Amino acid sequence: MIYAELQTTTHFSFLRGASSSDELFTKAAELGISALGIADRNSLAGIVRAWEASKATGVRLVVGCRLDLADGTSILVYPTDRSAYSRLTRLLSLGKSRGGKGKCILHFDDVEAYADGMVGILVPDEADDICAAQMRRVSKIFGSLAYVALSLRRRPNDQLRLYKLANVAADLGVKPVVTNDVLFHEPGRRQLQDIVTCVRNRTTIDAIGSDRERHADRYLKSPQEMYRLFPEYSRAVARTHDIVDLCRFDLGELQYQYPDEAIVPGLDAQQSLTKFVWEGAVDRYPEGIPDKVRKSILHELKLIEEMQYAPYFLTVYSIVRYARSQDILCQGRGSAANSACCYVLGITSIDPETSDLLFERFVSKERDEPPDIDVDFEHERREEVIQWIYRTYGRSRSALCSAVNRYRAKGAIRDVGKAMGLPQDLITQLSAGVWSWADDIGDEQLRSNNLNATDYRLRLTLELAKQLMGAPRHLSQHPGGSC
Amino acid sequence: MTLKVGLRVGMPASKAQAMISNLVMIDADPRADAAAVERLALWCLRTYSPIVAVDGIDGVVLDTEGADHLHKGEALMISGLVNTLWHRGLTARAAISDTWGASHALARLTGAETTIVPIGETAKAVVGLPIQSLRLPADTIAGLATMGFATVGELAATPRAPLALRFGSEVGRRIDQMFGRAAEVMEPLRTEEMVEVAKVFGEPIAAADTIAKYVRRLSEELSAGLEDRGYGMKRADLLIHRVDSKAQSIRVGLAKPARDPGRISKLLCDRIDQIDPGFGIEKLTLTAVHTEPLEERQMSSSLIAEETADVLPVVEILANRGAKLFRVTPVATDVPERSFTRIGADAPESGASWPDKWPRPPRLLARPEPIEVMALLPDQPPVVVTWKGKRRKIVRADGPERIFGEWWIRPRELQAVRDYFVVEDDQGERLWIYRSGDGMDTATGAHLWFVHGVFG
Repeated sequence: MIYAELQTTTHFSFLRGASSSDELFTKAAELGISALGIADRNSLAGIVRAWEASKATGVRLVVGCRLDLADGTSILVYPTDRSAYSRLTRLLSLGKSRGGKGKCILHFDDVEAYADGMVGILVPDEADDICAAQMRRVSKIFGSLAYVALSLRRRPNDQLRLYKLANVAADLGVKPVVTNDVLFHEPGRRQLQDIVTCVRNRTTIDAIGSDRERHADRYLKSPQEMYRLFPEYSRAVARTHDIVDLCRFDLGELQYQYPDEAIVPGLDAQQSLTKFVWEGAVDRYPEGIPDKVRKSILHELKLIEEMQYAPYFLTVYSIVRYARSQDILCQGRGSAANSACCYVLGITSIDPETSDLLFERFVSKERDEPPDIDVDFEHERREEVIQWIYRTYGRSRSALCSAVNRYRAKGAIRDVGKAMGLPQDLITQLSAGVWSWADDIGDEQLRSNNLNATDYRLRLTLELAKQLMGAPRHLSQHPGGSC
Repeated sequence: MTLKVGLRVGMPASKAQAMISNLVMIDADPRADAAAVERLALWCLRTYSPIVAVDGIDGVVLDTEGADHLHKGEALMISGLVNTLWHRGLTARAAISDTWGASHALARLTGAETTIVPIGETAKAVVGLPIQSLRLPADTIAGLATMGFATVGELAATPRAPLALRFGSEVGRRIDQMFGRAAEVMEPLRTEEMVEVAKVFGEPIAAADTIAKYVRRLSEELSAGLEDRGYGMKRADLLIHRVDSKAQSIRVGLAKPARDPGRISKLLCDRIDQIDPGFGIEKLTLTAVHTEPLEERQMSSSLIAEETADVLPVVEILANRGAKLFRVTPVATDVPERSFTRIGADAPESGASWPDKWPRPPRLLARPEPIEVMALLPDQPPVVVTWKGKRRKIVRADGPERIFGEWWIRPRELQAVRDYFVVEDDQGERLWIYRSGDGMDTATGAHLWFVHGVFG
């Protein structure tokens, strides 16, 4: 029996999914699920972690995304190849640039414009007229790659709903496929899922009422169990694997594509860099370049040429040059200070003549990852540099880095405590007593705080906070990074 | 407490400080004390009984005759009173007995938080009490003690004449009041906000019709009095003073402040049959004890607006007859037992709506009843159900609807699961049944079957 789960939500659907990719993929491997389709809400943020978990467990990752459209329609999209993937990322960029902070606004028309090469699975609600209209639209957009998801909700009239959906789908030529709408990897995460829903809705567990996730059994199930649960739809269960076979895109196909740097006419990037380096060296050492420095520069240029990092050095050089021309203070720091080239280009200020530099700490063949030059700018005028970058490279080609904010012990206790309806002063007291990622918030700590260690809510709060630690809470803007 | 460590009334402050280190002394403020006791008495008046008076400098006395049933009996009323005061930071002692004198003594001189003396057993309860409990002046008490009297019983068994000769008639009067041999009139507490009207009869009245006539007249006067001040009443007390100087009371409440004389008198006249006129009634007093500001509003013309039927008067009549009225409102939860709650008959609409997407049976059993079934685990509906000895063959079924326990409420619900099925038997009857547990893991429930509701 073969089954792939195509509607999996990780905790990168912030405050919605309750399990990490590691947990999901490990569990999937245990259950014998052949592939997991990761579809977070309007986001691809969890894909890299999922890719790593997939490599570690051998369960195939199908990269996807759940698009929640402005009219309430939800579609799971799975790009079949690399060009479809880049269309998907562009579609998401469009939605996010429209929505602003934390939101993503997309319409059917946008999906239609970018849908080429994508598998589309409609996530239907009830089998009514609205659903039929959505299905018609999905069928038109995705053609032979249009599907509709059949999931059990464990609510009244489940079987009737599936039957009607299958009928509507058959009428419109959309293929039904079974999904499980997974929010967590094992049944024991149900409580945490309720809690993060409370945090998302800014309410307490006692007041949340019907805003909870009300469809039951949102954990991963084995292929045998899925076939047992859908005896009438075994073709739709097997069809999950057709989709996995269709989607050949792998994250490994993505590579860094560095832009061509504006260079001296008639020279290529390496040659221009060499030119700038020697010019800079003459400026730095007007009395002649010391032998030691000359040797390091030659060594570094050779390595940079081998690794083809010249365009990157040129980019940083041009940014620094602009900043200097505007009298904006700037200073390279970190491992880049190990480079004589960076010194003579004026990026860093540690004289390689007077100190022993170890260039391999910065760039090395063994560590096959791109170099990273940190440059600090005067913070009042940082914006000017950013604007210059936008002007030079174009707004659609430059971006600020985002950072994932994860729960640490304090934040976890604070949010879970609030959701559990603990009084504010108690939460403050609890979280003040926690100093690290300590996973030993136990009876000892409670007693030393003069708290009742047998209180049910208090115990639950600590237990759930422990589960929540490490989960991403939201994305934020990296304070400095731009790319 | 202060007595135990050796402090006495009248002791010099310096001596007290010498005896106890770190003694906190607060100046006595009799006026503030009296005001506080009066506030307490007013609260009792609103909550417990129409006849409430301040008793001495440190007590409140209530005539609770006919008022205790509203609080589910004397024992619950009195312990509820003490507990409520305790939550407000007051340590109270309370006693219920036939007479003011006995209650006064029992509350102060027995250590118990609450004391209840059954009707007719007052004498037995007070004979052992010290003579200090008799509400007599201090020098009289001292004199009696010199003569060797220690308890009320001893004093009561002594001939009156010599005592009266030496201490005056006060001793005999207090003893009679304690034993209930002499009447003691309680002057009910009244405040500025209360509106009171009274009618004194030259010739005592007794007939129900006559009482009703004067109640209507008093209601009109009260209504006029309320209107003068811009008040509406929420609670009114009718006091009936009989010629034998006993008092009875009728308390009526309104759901919302009003001053319509018809409504007030209707509620009062409804209960005239509860009045025992005895040898005749010499005075009727009608007091609005709980008033709130009320402004007249213009009603919209019934030509345009559809007038909605106001059920409030009916609600009030039923409530004043002692019926407990409530409405049922939905609660947003999946657990059937908790999916509704009772609210007051006059409570505003909560805005919550009954679920329509996932229908529930119109009839939910108060307690799920165990049934015997034949069903395949883990999630098949039963093929046969036996409920109350009747075997039903199931022909149609829908489910399972999986309902989880509300894990945040108590530990037992952390993992609890119920699988609900709607089943229809060959007679066409539909039942709502469930199995405790998810059919796989016994930690989620014992896999027992119950019927929880009936459709149609």
